[in-house]
Amino acid sequence: MLKRLCLPLFIAFFLAGCTGEDWRTTDISKTMPPLDFKLVNENGKTVTEEDYETEGKATLLFFGYTHCPDVCPTTLARLAKVTKSLDQDLRDKLQVLFVSVDPARDTPQSMATYTSAFGPEFIGMVGDKSELEDVTNRYRIAYSYDEPDKDGNYTVTHTSAVLAFDSQGNPAFMLLQSDPDVALKGDLTRLIEKGQG
Amino acid sequence: MRNLLSSLVLGISVFVFSSGLAFADGKIEVTDARLRLLPGDVPAAGYFKLHNGTDEAIKLVGAHTGAYKKVMMHMSMEKDGMAEMHAVPEIDVAPGEDFEFAPSGYHLMFMKRSALLQYGDKVTVMLKVEGQKNVPVNFKVVSPADM
Repeated sequence: MLKRLCLPLFIAFFLAGCTGEDWRTTDISKTMPPLDFKLVNENGKTVTEEDYETEGKATLLFFGYTHCPDVCPTTLARLAKVTKSLDQDLRDKLQVLFVSVDPARDTPQSMATYTSAFGPEFIGMVGDKSELEDVTNRYRIAYSYDEPDKDGNYTVTHTSAVLAFDSQGNPAFMLLQSDPDVALKGDLTRLIEKGQG
Repeated sequence: MRNLLSSLVLGISVFVFSSGLAFADGKIEVTDARLRLLPGDVPAAGYFKLHNGTDEAIKLVGAHTGAYKKVMMHMSMEKDGMAEMHAVPEIDVAPGEDFEFAPSGYHLMFMKRSALLQYGDKVTVMLKVEGQKNVPVNFKVVSPADM
């Protein structure tokens, strides 16, 4: 008798667990603040999160720099590839904000040129020192600059995680380099479908 | 005019090395060589697989090409959630072993483009191996979306 009662209860709890917020990537719903920034977009316009919450789109937030030859384009290409594998109606409800941590070399123009290689949903952002510090402190994004070589070239070490927010700007999940594409695809699909109600 | 000249030089290079990946002596084999080009004046990355078919260890010490002013061997690594990049002065490949330059790991970093490049072009890169003749390799220019 007890067994008969327990099994359905167990199944109910199990299913509830599955439909909850346990992402296949890392949950940040309790550990990160909502989407909040003031930056300059790749069209040279000063924008805040409100400008990107009006169309009901989920947001991926990634920090990097255009002179990054390997990790940044690899990450963005991966996001582009997974995004392309989504149904068109889901894809239309996603934007990827790529924020430069290299304000000395990156401009709205260079960001626009760079993001054009990945797709229309990729939007470059720059900020002055204080705007950048503000947004990177908020999301605990670290970055540091190596010593420039004799030609003035330097590399930037930076947090490589991608943060995901729902269409209202609530924090959802964080993608690490080690997470498989299939986990990202599953979480993105859920995140966008959740936003559509 | 300069672009034309570059294309010409590139074209000739392609012609000369189009016999390609199988080297006459068949000793050091490079396959799947691609140069990931990004729009704008930013560095590109080169990836490939190298097989040391010789019976001696080889030491890869760098690369150069007419299409970029500077080429460096680099390695990306992930440490405590941070992406880092370091220059790598040399890479040893034991006899019979393979070594792969791949995204988020070892890569050639091409800096300061000096030729006009388009997706689908071929770029000849000379790999420098200590104590041996340079190894010419054709890199296919690809878009980040094609990798």
